[in-house]
Amino acid sequence: MAKRLKVANPARCIGCYSCMMACARTWYDTISLKNSRINIQTRGGIETPYAAIVCHACVDPPCMRACPVGALTKRKGGGVNFNKEICKGCGNCIEACIVGAIHLDAENKAVICKHCGVCTKFCPHDVLEMIEVEDSGELKVTDTSPVEDTGPESPTASHKELYGKKEAEGEE
Amino acid sequence: MTTEQYAIPGLKNVLYIDLTSQSYHIEERPDLYEKYLGGIGIATNLMLEEYKEGTGPLDPEMPIIFSTGPLSGVYPTCTKTVALFRSPLNGELGESYAGGHLAMSMRYSGYETIVIKGSSRYPVYVTVHDDKVTFRDASSIWNLSSAIDVGQVLRRVEPGAGRRSIVRIGPAGEKGIAYASVNVDTYRHFGRLGLGTVFGAKKLKAILVAGNREIKSPDHNAYKKMYGKLYETIVKTGLMEKYHNLGTSENILVLNELKGLPTRNLQATSIESVENISGENFAEKYLIRRVSCAGCPIGCVHVAMLKRSFSKAHEYETLNISYDFELIYALGSNLGVTDPEAVLELIDACEKTGVDIISMGVVLAWATEMQQRGKISTEEALGLKLSWGDKAAYLRAIELVVKAPNEFYAALGKGVDYASKKYGGEEFAIQLGGLEIPGYHTGLGNILGLTVGFRHSHLDNAGYSADQKAFNQPISDEKIVDYIIDEEDRRSVLNCMVACLFARNVYTYENMVQALKCIGIEKTEEELKELGKDIFRKKYELKKKFGFRFENFSIPKRFFETISTTGKLEEERVRKAIEMYREKRGV
Ligand code: SF4
Ligand code: SF4
Ligand code: SF4
Ligand code: SF4
Repeated sequence: MAKRLKVANPARCIGCYSCMMACARTWYDTISLKNSRINIQTRGGIETPYAAIVCHACVDPPCMRACPVGALTKRKGGGVNFNKEICKGCGNCIEACIVGAIHLDAENKAVICKHCGVCTKFCPHDVLEMIEVEDSGELKVTDTSPVEDTGPESPTASHKELYGKKEAEGEE
Repeated sequence: MTTEQYAIPGLKNVLYIDLTSQSYHIEERPDLYEKYLGGIGIATNLMLEEYKEGTGPLDPEMPIIFSTGPLSGVYPTCTKTVALFRSPLNGELGESYAGGHLAMSMRYSGYETIVIKGSSRYPVYVTVHDDKVTFRDASSIWNLSSAIDVGQVLRRVEPGAGRRSIVRIGPAGEKGIAYASVNVDTYRHFGRLGLGTVFGAKKLKAILVAGNREIKSPDHNAYKKMYGKLYETIVKTGLMEKYHNLGTSENILVLNELKGLPTRNLQATSIESVENISGENFAEKYLIRRVSCAGCPIGCVHVAMLKRSFSKAHEYETLNISYDFELIYALGSNLGVTDPEAVLELIDACEKTGVDIISMGVVLAWATEMQQRGKISTEEALGLKLSWGDKAAYLRAIELVVKAPNEFYAALGKGVDYASKKYGGEEFAIQLGGLEIPGYHTGLGNILGLTVGFRHSHLDNAGYSADQKAFNQPISDEKIVDYIIDEEDRRSVLNCMVACLFARNVYTYENMVQALKCIGIEKTEEELKELGKDIFRKKYELKKKFGFRFENFSIPKRFFETISTTGKLEEERVRKAIEMYREKRGV
């Protein structure tokens, strides 16, 4: 069953950069924001909402088509697999991805989301999720059960395990 | 993947910026970082090196020192930067902490510490883009009416979006209001003690730091594990739940109930209709989002939305304003304002002009009482009649203080200590050590803490929380003194890291030792504790040089007249406790 990363609730982002730190330290052996494959940005300073810029897991990835050496190949579940060894750092993929989801690292190798899901585990505010998709990357229609209550009192509401026990107790 | 060879080792450099000659240089000080780690430890030592006897707070040679620590940008909730300077408000140790993006940007730029000296002939702003430093003319943004707008302009002209921090002053700093603040990334501040005034005197409008380098990680697996552990502790144990949920403004109802919330210039310690300005009410009616400092999963910055109508034709403007406990005290209870929208508007006015809100609130509260007692005439106040709860008058007063059109308002701009020495009413000028008090009147611990604290701030030693303990279960005065001493030392160490003090119970000595170890810094718990004591001695040395003497310290009568959480305080008891502290500390 294929999965991909989704920025499910961008408006809930608090700009903590936990996702970026997590991505960068998981896939690189240094500490940085620079090597994160997800990028948290503000459009007009902290007064305005944050945007999470990350690979959209294209079904037919333009970045892949733009790569002259075949370093990017189609990934099961959308997006691309990246072969670092053969990437020559030309940056064509960066141009092709209008989302702005790719950049180069210090060794001139593309930095591009693997849809591994590590960042979702460090997002404290329900912004990021891993969702199930078809192998092709097409979205799945899975919502065939009755509509869930997602209000703040519901058991599936945000933060059910985070920020301590106090909130959970309050719900009882 | 490995990019280790390109990464910086960090904790090596001090960047010196000279505004007079618009030049800069870098000094390698591994000696300092090894011994003092970062933050307040480094800043205190550099200040001792830099300070030349007799240099005034606003003299060009007087440095501003910013410093971050070994954990900044590395572990969760280590998000603060310390600023050290000499305070133009009380002439003493100027020390202030701000969050936002600054610590992370400095850390990733490779300059954990920045020393700014000299002064420019014309307004400038300084940018640090990774290792490059530039000076740019800021004349076109000098005189802008709002510190927030300055950020907007700089964001447009400077690169580095998402990785940068913009530190700037507003009109109050330009005009020399002694308690001008420095705005960091819109919602955070170097608030207290007048850093904004020092910026203004140096004609330094703003500093932009953008850092996007990698830091070496000597034992990456250990680091990853430690990060995970700290992260879990922060978000899953409830240790910090309070800051996430209602935030510090949760304390409004608590302190009001405990009779510890300064009200109407501390004539009382609880206020009627307090529910209107409670954290609960702000959250329900106005809170629209939370934001975090870069690197902190808590999101304690509470942003309220105020919708304000400006014509009968249903025309509205909306303001996004961050609020917290101290602001609600300073512009709410202490001014007798219990309309939450009025509190938000007053906060907004102070934010734009760039003043320390606690100081402004206390100054206005004192002025109100002076007028009510007939000691300041309406003429002196230029037609203004201040009265408790009168938002419109207070909004005008804030503007007048910053514009300083006459002697009276100019005096208000120098702080409540100065103004009360000039006009009388010292007995009810609620300041200690020349710094307007924060929102606690809880008893001995609080007054003692503010008196002996390095910078007379509740954050030096949390004396109010000793009172809370004493309230729950009576403890001896000596225990309170001991609590304050321990807390001071612990906080000195935390301030080397430079962790957010909200996470003080996450960064225990044990966790600090481990966190450091995982990034290749070996320190034992005993060494850290000794570091705390060392910093104490150094800071008192500095305080002495800046002219602090216990002998000259006086405590306004008001503190002994108004009932506190732990009852009425006797002067004699406070005096004895101070003696005890001095004896134990050897100061
Ligand atoms: S990197 Fe950009 S172009 Fe490539 S798959 Fe992701 S979103 Fe599509
Ligand atoms: S930078 Fe690398 S992955 Fe991107 S197009 Fe060039 S070779 Fe391909
Ligand atoms: S899914 Fe994995 S690779 Fe993609 S941004 Fe998150 S942590 Fe990085
Ligand atoms: S971890 Fe979540 S809340 Fe934090 S910056 Fe990333 S997306 Fe936003």
